[in-house]
Amino acid sequence: MLIETRNIFKIYDEGLESEVRALDDVSLTIDRGEFVAIIGQSGSGKSTLMNMLGCLDIPTRGDYILHGTNVKDLSDNELSRIRNKEIGFIFQQYNLIASLTVQENVELPLIYQGIDAEKRSRMAMEALEKMSIAEKAKSYPKQLSGGQQQRVAIARAISAKPSIIMADEPTGALDSKTGHDILGFLRQFHEEGTTVILITHDNGIAASADRRVRISDGKIVEDTGPVIKYPKAAEKKAAEAEANSHEEAAKAAQEAMKAAAKMEEELL
Amino acid sequence: MNVLSTFKMAWRSIKGKRGRSVLTVLSIFIGIAAVMTIVSVMEGMKEYTRQQYAAMGSNKIDVSIYSWSYDENGNPTNQKDYFPILEEYCKSLGDMVVGVTPNARANGTVVYGTVNSANMESKYDEETYELISSPPQMYYGSSQYSKVNEHEIARGRDISYLDIEKYNQVAVLGSKAAEIFFGNVDPLGKNLQINGNNFQVIGIYKQKSTEGTKGYQQNQMDNVIILPYSARRLLGGEQMTAFQIKASSSENIKEVISRVGPYMKNFVPEGSGMVDVYSQSSWQEYENQYLTTIGLVLGGIAAISLIVGGIGIMNIMLVSVTERTKEIGIRRAIGARRSSIVAQFLIEAGMLCGMGGLVGIVVGTIGSLILGKLMYQLTIWPSIPVALGTLLFSIALGLLFGSYPASKASKLQPVEALRAE
Repeated sequence: MLIETRNIFKIYDEGLESEVRALDDVSLTIDRGEFVAIIGQSGSGKSTLMNMLGCLDIPTRGDYILHGTNVKDLSDNELSRIRNKEIGFIFQQYNLIASLTVQENVELPLIYQGIDAEKRSRMAMEALEKMSIAEKAKSYPKQLSGGQQQRVAIARAISAKPSIIMADEPTGALDSKTGHDILGFLRQFHEEGTTVILITHDNGIAASADRRVRISDGKIVEDTGPVIKYPKAAEKKAAEAEANSHEEAAKAAQEAMKAAAKMEEELL
Repeated sequence: MNVLSTFKMAWRSIKGKRGRSVLTVLSIFIGIAAVMTIVSVMEGMKEYTRQQYAAMGSNKIDVSIYSWSYDENGNPTNQKDYFPILEEYCKSLGDMVVGVTPNARANGTVVYGTVNSANMESKYDEETYELISSPPQMYYGSSQYSKVNEHEIARGRDISYLDIEKYNQVAVLGSKAAEIFFGNVDPLGKNLQINGNNFQVIGIYKQKSTEGTKGYQQNQMDNVIILPYSARRLLGGEQMTAFQIKASSSENIKEVISRVGPYMKNFVPEGSGMVDVYSQSSWQEYENQYLTTIGLVLGGIAAISLIVGGIGIMNIMLVSVTERTKEIGIRRAIGARRSSIVAQFLIEAGMLCGMGGLVGIVVGTIGSLILGKLMYQLTIWPSIPVALGTLLFSIALGLLFGSYPASKASKLQPVEALRAE
């Protein structure tokens, strides 16, 4: 199982009169290759759930198991690494950094991975081309329309080739035609094997997902159940991710060996 | 995390808030420039006093014998010829002493042809009232006079021990004195009339003053006539009570002083007077200490302005953290570690202060040059260690005062930060 929450709670001001249960005993599993919409009105707790699933927030109680690892046991650096490599975020307000160019924005996750400039630039341009916005690479976000900015934000989300994409009301600030295009991109990633989690208040938008989870007052009130339409692509994506992490592990081992050899040399 | 891209991003956000960055740099550079200028001017002042003392001659020790008891004729009771005693004793000190000579002025009119010292007037600078030129100064010297006073013979020969023994009427001239009396004529072998007595010029000193030496010092150095001290019998004058010893090194000065003083005391009857032995270089030491103290106080005041500037940096960085909470949230969401956020803000603060440091060094250098010219007519270039030190200090200041805002930024919960507007 890719994602599994076990009875998670997110409670603000617990025990006080102002207590709010943003998540109230939520248990949910999502498998590799799913396209899930989490639907709810504003204040229902859907964004809190996404923050939990995206490792941006930690539950007050309960366990969140991602890739077989309990998130509780991970350090801040390990959580950063997961957000960096495993998850791509798409936000309603695009959340691009205004002082950086389009290309630099898209390169940002790769910079945090420590990828060298040349490879970084290649990967960023690849993502921008996929979003058909490569010609704006040198522009600044505020020179772009809303739809263009969201395409850049999506390019940033996919530049590190994550296995999960989380989109929080990605069409909320866009007109319906542009919103439709954005949903098209999400479906495309899904077909390529990426697990897509779409947060929305809009039933119509939620209809483009294979599975719908409705949330209200912090509780799951409806779940249409798991559907995996493209199991082969999902498997391929998982294999890629594994190979990638193997490669990383091999690289880390190599570096450790080098460091050990150096230490030995110094000792001698 | 890529260091180069962190620097690039820091530069971007500094450029993005141009007006604010300029003001921040301003608050730092004033302090740096002040510190640099003060340190440089203090160095200049030290150099200036060093030159002053060097002009007087280094490693020199003055020996003076004072009297305060007089006989019925009004003559000091402890008057005797101290020089042979001192000279003999200095010989026993061996390598420690380079030479010893009386430090006594000879009085008299000097005439050669139509040139008469009695007709010469002293000239003073109209603004500073400093002596520019005067009739030649005439001194009694031992055979070691030139060694003690750092003169070199350019032509002819120096005063010898025999000249003193035999009461030879000879004279050695400084370059300026030679020019005044003889102009283009070769002075060697010519006779000067001193109080009507013939004194033969046997040697000329090399010019000692340099281009930078001013009127008074030049006069002191080169407008001199040195006579063997035995000529005092002929020309008269008071008993010689002042002498100069040149020690072989500054380390030996104290040793020589501590030996000569007590020894000479043996020859001055109790209650009739005293022996004073001191060195100008010990004054230089005092003066340097004094200047260092002033420098520390002024530098301290300037350093306070640096700290104020640093707090300004901290303030700006805190504002920047608050303003960019959302950005920090975005960066955290896409995988920035806490350490990357810390690095980002530290580098930004360090760059701002470093820029302030660079501007401060430029302004401080200009300030040092201008003040040095105005105050001492010296060209004072700030020393490289001072410049580098201030630059490093300003960067360290940025890191120090940036670390609190940086750590504050890194501790923001990603989800909280993302929620900010």
